[in-house]
Amino acid sequence: MAILAVSGLGWGWSRSTTAAAAAQSVPGRPGRDPRAEQFVQTEAQRMLSLLADRGLGRSEKEATFRRVLDQVADFQRITGFVLGKYARVITPAQRQQFNAVFRIYMQGLYQSHLADFRGDRVRVTGSVARAPGDTIVNTVINGGGDGGALPVAWRILGSGGVLKVVDVQAKGVWLAITLQQDFVSTIDNARGDIGVLIDRLQRDNQRLGARGS
Amino acid sequence: MSRMTGSKSKSRTRPGARGRSSTLPFALGVGGALAILVGVPAWSRVMTPSDPAAAASDPAAAATPADPWARFNRRAYGFNAVLDKALIGPVARVYKRFTPAPLRKGLGNVISNLREPSTALNALAQGRPRLTARAVTRFVANSTVGVLGVFDVAGRAGLEGQQADFGQTLGRYGVSEGPYLYLPVVGPLTVRDGLGGVVNTLTDPVSLATGGPGTDFATGRLVARGLDARAGADDSLRTIEEGSTDPYATVRSAYLQHRAAVVREATGAAEVLPDFDAPADSPEIPETAAPLPDAEDPAPPATPTDGQP
Repeated sequence: MAILAVSGLGWGWSRSTTAAAAAQSVPGRPGRDPRAEQFVQTEAQRMLSLLADRGLGRSEKEATFRRVLDQVADFQRITGFVLGKYARVITPAQRQQFNAVFRIYMQGLYQSHLADFRGDRVRVTGSVARAPGDTIVNTVINGGGDGGALPVAWRILGSGGVLKVVDVQAKGVWLAITLQQDFVSTIDNARGDIGVLIDRLQRDNQRLGARGS
Repeated sequence: MSRMTGSKSKSRTRPGARGRSSTLPFALGVGGALAILVGVPAWSRVMTPSDPAAAASDPAAAATPADPWARFNRRAYGFNAVLDKALIGPVARVYKRFTPAPLRKGLGNVISNLREPSTALNALAQGRPRLTARAVTRFVANSTVGVLGVFDVAGRAGLEGQQADFGQTLGRYGVSEGPYLYLPVVGPLTVRDGLGGVVNTLTDPVSLATGGPGTDFATGRLVARGLDARAGADDSLRTIEEGSTDPYATVRSAYLQHRAAVVREATGAAEVLPDFDAPADSPEIPETAAPLPDAEDPAPPATPTDGQP
């Protein structure tokens, strides 16, 4: 999602003039996590390079990008998180529907915004191990629409030795947190009807997919 | 959401003459006064996103933003959306399309440079001598070698810009952000940032040196700042409108998170992040949900854009 650049307010992949946010929640001196740093360096660069690959056709590029994103992002955790308080009351059938539409929605979101940085370089500047298996990796992505350097933070959760991305932050704004507040608000305004959210996402996916074809 | 500027000043053309006040400082002043009169009681009752108790009670959820004035805020958001679609957005897109990128970048640099003295003042108030020195150095270097700020020579030399404002200063000293407020034309605020904005305007050294908030220079600067910000946010705003199921909530969330991060820059406090693995509390179904402007349609369509049927 894009960050609004208004008097310092940003939401998105626009140029930042502030230092990268080093999100940490433990007192004292949390250490770095070299493995998480390497993971982000490799996978983020892979996605950007993929989007810049002129040798791939559009549909092939999309399919490949989505496969890579499936490997890199922890959709199961993210999907449960963005439902917020409604994750406990969603029916199995709704959950199945939501998982499907949300995955397409997220893939489109990541692709459209990382496309602004296709071909640019990702540079890891450090990391903060908040807890075992929970690390914030700080990077700078050089390039973008205005050629500036954008600090981006990645939240990496590990499970069974496998690292995955659960959230991404620019200008202090976390994507999954924002999505959660967006979705919960939509369901609240529909008096708890999760089906309204699912319908909206389905329509958004269809509209954005039609525009891209 | 960009701080949309709708100045209607009819200032005199004589250089340096004090014209009628632009509407934005007035709006900020009114907003700030209202915020004090109405907001303080609400402020004391409402938990803020930075309240540790909020995070502790439901670790799986990012704390729901305090929005006791949601009904008013949503209507103001709807008003701004119409204003943006009808006027501000088209003007910004024309500016972006017909102004070469280097020229836009130069204007953006000038606007940023003019805020460095205010940054220095607030950094000093926050007890951050290095940021104070950096802001002063940047202002001097960019105003001279950088030709009145057009070129960010200080940035190229490794002195990147970092802004400080009075809302951040208040946060630095423990003033809670208070309820979320969305004002017509002005856009998103908190009560704290609203008050901070008023103080910023009244204490801005550049403004004071050029005759105050009511001059042609001040009006021009305000309009340029708004245009630059709106042009830069065009893609972002379109994405929010198209990609959000509740754009108002998205803007609210993004604004509050960003401002919390800005205050953390000043305090050095650690960010409390939600637990992705903790089961969320069961929801209380709201009896009277905050109505959307088109609340009769339970699934309001996104704002129409070009090419959309």
